[in-house]
Amino acid sequence: MRIAIPKGRLQDRTLELFAAAGFDTPAESDLRTRRLVFQRGGIEWIFVKDCDVPVYVEHGAADVGVAGLDQILEHNCSAYQPVELDFGRCRLMLIAAPGAPPLTKIATKYPRIARQWLEQRGVRAEVIPLGGSVELAAVLNLTSHVIDLVETGETVRVHKLELQDVVAEISPRLIIGKNAYRTETTRIRQLIGRIENALEAKNATAVSRIA
Amino acid sequence: MVEKKLRYPTGVRPLLIEETARRKRIESRFVNILEDAGFAEVVLPIIDYVDPYASILSRENSRSSYRFVDREGDLVAIRSDFTPMVARALAPALDASQMPLRIFYRGDVIRCDASRLGVNRELFQIGAELVGDPSLDADVEVMNLAVKIAREFGIQPRVVYNDTSIAALLSDEERRAVATKRALAPADIARRLTPEISARLESVAAALDPSTFALHLDDLDEDTGYYTGIRFRLFGPDSRKAIAQGGRYDDVYQRFGTPAAAAGFTFTIDDLD
Repeated sequence: MRIAIPKGRLQDRTLELFAAAGFDTPAESDLRTRRLVFQRGGIEWIFVKDCDVPVYVEHGAADVGVAGLDQILEHNCSAYQPVELDFGRCRLMLIAAPGAPPLTKIATKYPRIARQWLEQRGVRAEVIPLGGSVELAAVLNLTSHVIDLVETGETVRVHKLELQDVVAEISPRLIIGKNAYRTETTRIRQLIGRIENALEAKNATAVSRIA
Repeated sequence: MVEKKLRYPTGVRPLLIEETARRKRIESRFVNILEDAGFAEVVLPIIDYVDPYASILSRENSRSSYRFVDREGDLVAIRSDFTPMVARALAPALDASQMPLRIFYRGDVIRCDASRLGVNRELFQIGAELVGDPSLDADVEVMNLAVKIAREFGIQPRVVYNDTSIAALLSDEERRAVATKRALAPADIARRLTPEISARLESVAAALDPSTFALHLDDLDEDTGYYTGIRFRLFGPDSRKAIAQGGRYDDVYQRFGTPAAAAGFTFTIDDLD
């Protein structure tokens, strides 16, 4: 079985979750090397850019992965999403500079989601796909608006931008390739069960700490 | 512009001498098995009008074909799925006295799905259909024939199947839950089955080799397409890609004017390495 771990924002919490579910995950020292593939506990762990996890799972290059709903939607990924994870939640938001003109152009890393959202709203605007630092587009008037992930809102504050609307609530999900589920059903169901139990145990501890 | 001299549009490529020879060998083995099993070949056009298929293909499905306006101003599509085309071709000429009809077809289909990386492709398919036999025996015959073909190519196939008519027993919400694998385990679905469907699934299971075929009650897509009964996928050693798929689609022929039960399967040859 091959599991795709998203590098970046979700990596540490994802590995913690798998470890809490009793999986033998790659160690800190492993991760400091530049290797991206590790064999441990009968599982092949691969580390890929977060936006590529749905691609690996969709095409069966990985059986299981963790991906944000933003990436799942953007890739129109058909993988199963049996478990919503309880960390790394954020929002995909419409952002503009104060006093920005009406919505005519949107810069975003999520052109597909942006077009769908415009369609749903019945708004006509041009979508300009960018690779990163999207908020600059609004600051420098490349576009009237941007659609981007907002976690703490710090970037938006620093650039003195305004949050105008929520495009989507984003949470990371455990995703499972359809054919992996079909052909490795027992192992995959066990994995889903272990992840669910680990999440429940974590919630129970958190609750008892509050009480 | 120099690169265009070498490059082909995304998803298509020529087969040169060796690959063509290999393709021809595979084709002729298929044809032999199918003809021995009593199937006769039909040839279908590479393009067809979009209109006649509007009620059969979901929006998602029809979007996966290349479409354009022909010289007469009609919207036409390049072949992307054989099954509805076979039905449209055969329906006007179906003769009850000749049923069941066993036919097969081969050729390229072109699927485009710009939003999914690498899915845009020309695929060579060979498929067979058993028309006019609504019985369980027909389901079993079709499934066993697909397995027989795979074995002929040295593959130890595994077949995962389900009955798509189960979808009608579930609410929209439950269907979505099953489709995303968020809830509703196979055991929950089993409790919901009507006696009729249970009996049908038991008879089918009894007629199939349990070491090859596995019933997965939760293997249900949100949109079951034109399938009305058994739906199966056949896997080879690479379990990440189905080599063949098929099932029963009893409503397709009546949309073209002549009601007829039908079951069949399609192999995608590029996946048969």
